[in-house]
Amino acid sequence: MTPEFLLTAIIFLPAIGALVLSIIDGKAVDAIRFMSLGVTIATFVLTLMLWMQFDYETAGIQFEVSKAWIPNWNIFYRLGVDGISLPLVVLTSLVSMLSCVASWSINKLHKGYFMLFLLLETGMMGVFLSLDFFLFFVFWEVMLLPMYFLIGVWGGPRKEYAALKFFLYTLAGGVLMLIAMLMFYFNSGGTEHSFNLIELAKAASGTSDHITGFLSPSMQITAFVLLFIGFAIKLPAFPVHTWLPDAHVEAPTPISMILAGVLLKLGGYGIIRIAFPLCPYGAAYAAYALVAIGVISIIYGALAALAQTDFKRLVAYSSVSHMGYVLIGLGVWKITEGTTVNSDMWLMGINGAMFQMVAHGISSAGMFFMVGVIYDRVHHRDLNKFGGLMGLMPLYSGLAAGLFFAGLGLPGLCGFIGEIFVVLSTWNYSPLLAIIAASGVILTAGYILWALQRVYLGAEYKGPHKEDITRMNAREASVAIVLLAIAIVLGVFPGIIFDMMHASTSALVESMKLGYQHAADLVKAAADTQAMR
Amino acid sequence: MVGETLRNYLMIAWLLPLAGFVVEIFFGFYSKNPRHSKAAAWCAVGCIGAGFLCSCAALVTWGNANDWCALEHHDSHGEHADAGHETAGHEHGEHAAGDHHVAEPAHNAAAAGEDHGHEHAVAAASGDAADHDDHASGSQQTTYSGVLYTLGKFGSLELSLDYYIDSLTLVMFTMVTLIATCIHLFAMGYMSEELTDEYVDHQAHTSDGKHVHRPGRFYRFFAFLSLFCFAMLGLVLAGNIFQVFIFWELVGICSFLLIGFYTERKSASNAANKAFIMNRVGDFGFLIGLMVLWTFFGTFRFGDTTNAEGVVAEQGLFSMVHRDEATGNFLTEPITGDVLITDNHGHALQQDGQNRSIPYYLLVVAGLGVFAGCVGKSAQFPLQTWLPDAMEGPTPVSALVHSATMVAAGVYLTGRFFPMFVQEVLLTIAYIGCITLFVAATIAVVATDIKKVLAYSTISQLGYMMLGLGVFGWGAGLFHLITHAFFKSLMFLCSGSVIHGCHHEQEMPKMGGLLKKMPITAITMLVGVCAIAGFPMLFGLHFSGFHSKDAIVASALAFMKANPSHFLLFFIPLLTAGITAFYMFRLWFYTFWGTPRDHHVHEHAHESPWIMTVPLLILAPLAWLCAYGGESGPLYLMLTGDAPSHLANGVAAATEGGLVMPGHEAVHAVHIQAGLLALAAAFSGALIAYILYGTNLVNVEQMKNQLSGIHGFLANKWHFDDLYDALFMKPAHKVAAFCAWFDKTVFDSILHGSAKLVVLVSQWDRIFDEKVVDGFVNLLGTSTQSVGRSFKVVQTGRLRQYVMFIVLGVVALFAVVFTTFPG
Amino acid sequence: MQPSLSNYLLVGAVLFVCGVICMATKRNGIGVLMGVELVLNGANINFVAFSKFTALGLDGQVFSLFVIVLAAAEAAVALAIALNFYNNHLTIDVDRGNKLKG
Repeated sequence: MTPEFLLTAIIFLPAIGALVLSIIDGKAVDAIRFMSLGVTIATFVLTLMLWMQFDYETAGIQFEVSKAWIPNWNIFYRLGVDGISLPLVVLTSLVSMLSCVASWSINKLHKGYFMLFLLLETGMMGVFLSLDFFLFFVFWEVMLLPMYFLIGVWGGPRKEYAALKFFLYTLAGGVLMLIAMLMFYFNSGGTEHSFNLIELAKAASGTSDHITGFLSPSMQITAFVLLFIGFAIKLPAFPVHTWLPDAHVEAPTPISMILAGVLLKLGGYGIIRIAFPLCPYGAAYAAYALVAIGVISIIYGALAALAQTDFKRLVAYSSVSHMGYVLIGLGVWKITEGTTVNSDMWLMGINGAMFQMVAHGISSAGMFFMVGVIYDRVHHRDLNKFGGLMGLMPLYSGLAAGLFFAGLGLPGLCGFIGEIFVVLSTWNYSPLLAIIAASGVILTAGYILWALQRVYLGAEYKGPHKEDITRMNAREASVAIVLLAIAIVLGVFPGIIFDMMHASTSALVESMKLGYQHAADLVKAAADTQAMR
Repeated sequence: MVGETLRNYLMIAWLLPLAGFVVEIFFGFYSKNPRHSKAAAWCAVGCIGAGFLCSCAALVTWGNANDWCALEHHDSHGEHADAGHETAGHEHGEHAAGDHHVAEPAHNAAAAGEDHGHEHAVAAASGDAADHDDHASGSQQTTYSGVLYTLGKFGSLELSLDYYIDSLTLVMFTMVTLIATCIHLFAMGYMSEELTDEYVDHQAHTSDGKHVHRPGRFYRFFAFLSLFCFAMLGLVLAGNIFQVFIFWELVGICSFLLIGFYTERKSASNAANKAFIMNRVGDFGFLIGLMVLWTFFGTFRFGDTTNAEGVVAEQGLFSMVHRDEATGNFLTEPITGDVLITDNHGHALQQDGQNRSIPYYLLVVAGLGVFAGCVGKSAQFPLQTWLPDAMEGPTPVSALVHSATMVAAGVYLTGRFFPMFVQEVLLTIAYIGCITLFVAATIAVVATDIKKVLAYSTISQLGYMMLGLGVFGWGAGLFHLITHAFFKSLMFLCSGSVIHGCHHEQEMPKMGGLLKKMPITAITMLVGVCAIAGFPMLFGLHFSGFHSKDAIVASALAFMKANPSHFLLFFIPLLTAGITAFYMFRLWFYTFWGTPRDHHVHEHAHESPWIMTVPLLILAPLAWLCAYGGESGPLYLMLTGDAPSHLANGVAAATEGGLVMPGHEAVHAVHIQAGLLALAAAFSGALIAYILYGTNLVNVEQMKNQLSGIHGFLANKWHFDDLYDALFMKPAHKVAAFCAWFDKTVFDSILHGSAKLVVLVSQWDRIFDEKVVDGFVNLLGTSTQSVGRSFKVVQTGRLRQYVMFIVLGVVALFAVVFTTFPG
Repeated sequence: MQPSLSNYLLVGAVLFVCGVICMATKRNGIGVLMGVELVLNGANINFVAFSKFTALGLDGQVFSLFVIVLAAAEAAVALAIALNFYNNHLTIDVDRGNKLKG
């Protein structure tokens, strides 16, 4: 299998799986389940093969594929991976696989569910692997539709509301992205590289061989704001996060896992893959806003989580809080008098943010799964009506405690590394924001421990369906154990991720600095001309 | 090679408990009969015991490598010549003798760095070799540090797990592993009730008022203990402050798990949460300190790293700030007053053509931040309230985690990080310690729960240590840390023995007269009480607390003499020394002396089995004698072998009205005076306790009623819990509820509002569509139709009529054509 | 004396008018058909006359042949209609049928 074909295979294998599913008899539930599980496992193996063949030392794109798709409009089928997308690709296939195992609890319309599920995986993979802006956009929308149905058909009591809210929010973001995409296309001459994300990024720093014209610095700011809002909705950042709690609460457990484990990462990935390199000047301009929004998200999300009585909603708000660190890490780009100060700190922030994305993908998927496990038994999520599960389900409680500690940011588990690296890099940027961000550790400990206490500790179970509480079965335990094991491995050896993305993030920082300098020179030249007149 | 050997020994000691944890958890969970097997306990004991042996071996290796110079140096003062060997013999038997020939000159040790790329040599005290002119180790390497592995590297920034081994590390390792071994043994007896499938928890109730029945969790307890040992040893071994933070959190979570071991009890899980969250408050400060250090120094390492040639590759924190040799203050930029960041020789490092420096106030912030972490961990004012609640955990936990090791970690870190503290921070430390020791001691006076008394006493003693460090008594503070660890863990184990013997009765008013029933416990407890009270002389040998507390009080006195305005820092500890003796003897008399107050408890009381008394018998002599020789004894000399060098000469006032820090000479001069004062206080305290509780001369109940105001205030712990509840807990929940409400109401109503607006607009759109657009088209249609209908009448169906029409039409056509186009 | 164009046209016009009057006045369907034949033949005379007196060559004759053939076909169809009409109405009085009324 040639490396180039590998990427296409990763993207479309699930879609082919969905096609095959369509001809299977809908009543053969087990066949459908194992078939989809097989497809997700195969995809995971393919991504592992990709990882094996990946060269850590290369900063640029690897396994590049470029075929004309709609030549009249200069739309290409461009794929490739680098150190920034590889961890997320592996994470996606992993979380998809695990949530496929978790999908055994789905109890109606199996065939439709698993077909949509596999289509969703295709969409997610496509977003992470495409390097053509148009293709990216197409996959972005492709991903949206299965999600809408997965929430809207298999969801909880308010599923229609939640699905619609999710759909509209994301679509609004998509529209803003579309505007920005057209801005880039037409301002870079509408040539065959005008959708090429890599060439556009080079053009932003003035080093492109193919693209001559580019956005003016002020237009960069506009484009950045448009892109940022689009991605911030997905991230989600305060104040456009309100779709998240509803979507999570109503979505079935495996879909919550995907939502938290992968979909939220698309926001961060979009910022670091598109918004940043394509508008470095805009990014520098808006850096403070990014960090401030991140800080607000952390504190606000943590406080909101503290007040929840719905277990799943609490975990959802914890996602808002945790993804705030991603924004902070990306935004700590300190520029004084036109030059970047201590860019190693920013590099650390970006690495921390990327790590946080992966770590959150593991820990939050785990937390949602754990909520789902107990929900499947007692069919309620009221935090005040649990208690005593430690005695009734010891293995479950132990694993859940581990995963929640990972979310709490306990050293030795994955959540710690991302958070702490981001926070450490923040003082250099702004001491005030750094202090506020650091205070999140108290609130996080507060809501997680309080939730643990109410659910797992205590003398007895206080809610309904006590007789239905059975020990975790092997299928459930395997999912939780895999997630916890990864959380531990990443917490102890974060180098696994850092090594993977080191070359790419360093190159990103350098090109961003160059791009900012390029744009700043233009601004200065314009000001000089103005003064001459 | 010494560095590597030490590293390997200590890493084995450190990682064994982790392996033990994994084994215990897995085999405990999957083995067929985990509820009845003591295998987990033996595994844990084996791991920590092996760890102790490794620590001893490391200690001996270290000592041999530098010819026991830390101990021999004081020979010139005419003190015990072979004290070192006595300690060695005392603590580690044959190892000392056997390994003696391994001693190698220090330059061999330095050369070892060449084999090992990560080996780092650190001069004993960050380049101040000049201060060591009278110190034999001036030419010896006594500190070893290096990298274990890298967590992340970003440009010039690198975060890694390191190790840093000096005399303090080694002493701490030995102390922790020794005490932990004893406590593991004790716990095997104490927790044996858990060896059942049907454990009845008398303190946890279900909603129908019955006791909770649950399977025993013996193996889980030992697994947690092992995990704790791993975290604690990692904390001590840590070679950078970030790593300290990592293990800081890990000991915190272990403490959480152990306090909340009885998960069924609401009070236990509350206490566990409280402990962890209050520690997190301190850690928040710690984090701020870390951020400042990271931003300005770009490293967290304590020591320097060297490359293969033995040249310094990257400096550690301790060598990046330099002290003026004359005054002992940091070198600063003359104009701005910022503290210079220097190379190993005191020359400022350059960056972009300017001297690298850190604003002085930020150094204060960093110091206070790190200290805030210590405040949380060591339960200092104002974060002291979690420790008494933490007594919800099983007693061995209180002994190990909440008296001897984890809570002492705050003091350890303060001592470890001492070279970076500026005067303002030290003064804060001193005052925090002073407030804490007084507040906690007063509460201990009225507490009636035997473990709570000990908990408050722990807080108070930790306050002493902090005070000692704050008034420049680096050696004194850490000295007390070690001695306190021994006697306090002893006392906790004794209290555990009492509780076990009295069937989980913890209230002292229900005890009394247990001396005859539990003689071993009572006597060993008395040893501990005498040690903490600071009593001198028994068979010609002073109690350990006498030495260490004297050292602190002497430091405080010297400090007060140098800075008269800070007189409270001396008088309050002195007064509290009396209070300490009072409440400790009160505890002892209350529990063991007099007549039984509750016959039910008394009748069933019994001495504990051997597995619990043996640890007491091991710890009691240590608590008595570990400080043998006082400040010229082996323990103290060993501890202070790598003391920050600027301490010896003291520090002159940097500015007008600044602090003067007394040097060793000044402390030495007031030692006798301070010792006598402290002794007087302790004796009077003990005497009062005897009069009140040992005899029937005074009616204590009556006294309590007369002083009910102050008694209530103290019994309510100075209302700290109420205050925090009102100040922080309630507002936090209010704000959280507000946020949730805000999210649900404001954001969503904006969203719903705009959705409604869209619906409204679309309704208007529908009306427009239906009325205007459709209306026009329909109108067109209907009018066409009506016109057509009006023509219908012509269509008669009569054939001949049609012919007539044709004829007439043709005629008309002709007529028109001919009239229009005539010709 | 050669008859002139106007003579022919006059004969054609007379035939045409006779035919029209026959169509308009006859109530008998067959009569109407006969009127139609007269009209067609009037037109045929005109075709042939114009063909003879102008430079059209044989076009007029060809046309009139077409018309004759057409008339025959029409007569066949019309007679079939008349037969049908009779079957339905038992008469061939065209005033009796008003099915074409709109």
